[in-house]
Amino acid sequence: MHRRTILAAMALLPAGAIAHHGWSEYDSSKLLALSGKIIETGYEHPHGFIRLELPGKVWLCILAPPSRMENRGLAKDQLKPGVTVTVEGYANRGKPEEMRAERITVGGKTVELR
Amino acid sequence: MPMTAMGAIEGSALGQAMRQWLWLYPTVEIVHLCGIALLVGSIAVLDLRLLGFSRSLSARKLAAHALPWTLGSFVLILPSGLAMFVAHAGDLIASPVFALKMGLIMAAGINAAVFHAGIFRGAAQWDVEVMPPTAARAAAALSLLLWISVIACGRLLAYV
Repeated sequence: MHRRTILAAMALLPAGAIAHHGWSEYDSSKLLALSGKIIETGYEHPHGFIRLELPGKVWLCILAPPSRMENRGLAKDQLKPGVTVTVEGYANRGKPEEMRAERITVGGKTVELR
Repeated sequence: MPMTAMGAIEGSALGQAMRQWLWLYPTVEIVHLCGIALLVGSIAVLDLRLLGFSRSLSARKLAAHALPWTLGSFVLILPSGLAMFVAHAGDLIASPVFALKMGLIMAAGINAAVFHAGIFRGAAQWDVEVMPPTAARAAAALSLLLWISVIACGRLLAYV
C-alpha cells in the first residue's frame, strides 16, 4: 500500500519536472485561444513574455524560458512588436489580464512551450 | 528613489546578461543549487552528530572536516545569488519572502557563531560516546530548522 503510494508519486514526477515548477495559479480547466498583435516582447529568463493587443484588452502572455524557445525553433526575432500571433493557454485566476501560454503560433508555425 | 536604484541594478550589463543570455541563468541556478547542497549537507552531518547520532565519531574532528566545506560553499552561493538578485532586483526587494529568507540566513549565521564561540569550546568534555549537552542539541535543532526554512523561502520566491 505504502509502496504503491510512492510509485504513484514517482509516476507524477516527470510532469512536474517538465513544468519547471507548479502552475496552479492558472486555471487549466478552460483553454483560451487569443489572436492579436504583439505590442511588447521579452525574450528573457526565467520566462519569456509578450503583451498581446486584442480588442478592448491587452493580455500579458507568459511564455517559456528563452533557452527552451530557442531549442524548439522559436527565435527571438520572430516575436517582434507588430507581429500577429495566436497563443493557446490558461488564464491566471488572480490576474485577469495574464495568461500562461501552452503553445504559440507564429507565421503559420506552432511551437509547444511546455 | 529605491525603486529607481533597483531599476539601475536590473539594467546593468550583468542584469541584462542574466535575463537575455540563453544559458547563463540556468547555469547560475545550477551553481547556486550545488552551493546549497554543500552548505546544508555539511551543516546537516554536524547537526545530526550534535543531536546525538553516531556518537562514536569525534564531534570535534567531524566539525574540523565539515566546517571548511560549509564556509567554502559560499564561494558558489554568494556570486550566483547576487547574479540572480541583479537580474530581478526590484521584484526581490519588494518580496516579503526574500526579506524573510535574508533574515533567516542572518539568524542561522548568528546561531552558528554563538554555538562555535560558546558551548562548542567545551566540546572536549563530550567529544566521543557522550550525549552532547542540551544547549548543543538545541543549537543543532535550530540550525536544521533555520536552513530548511531558508531553502523553503528560496523555492517559494517563484510562487508567491
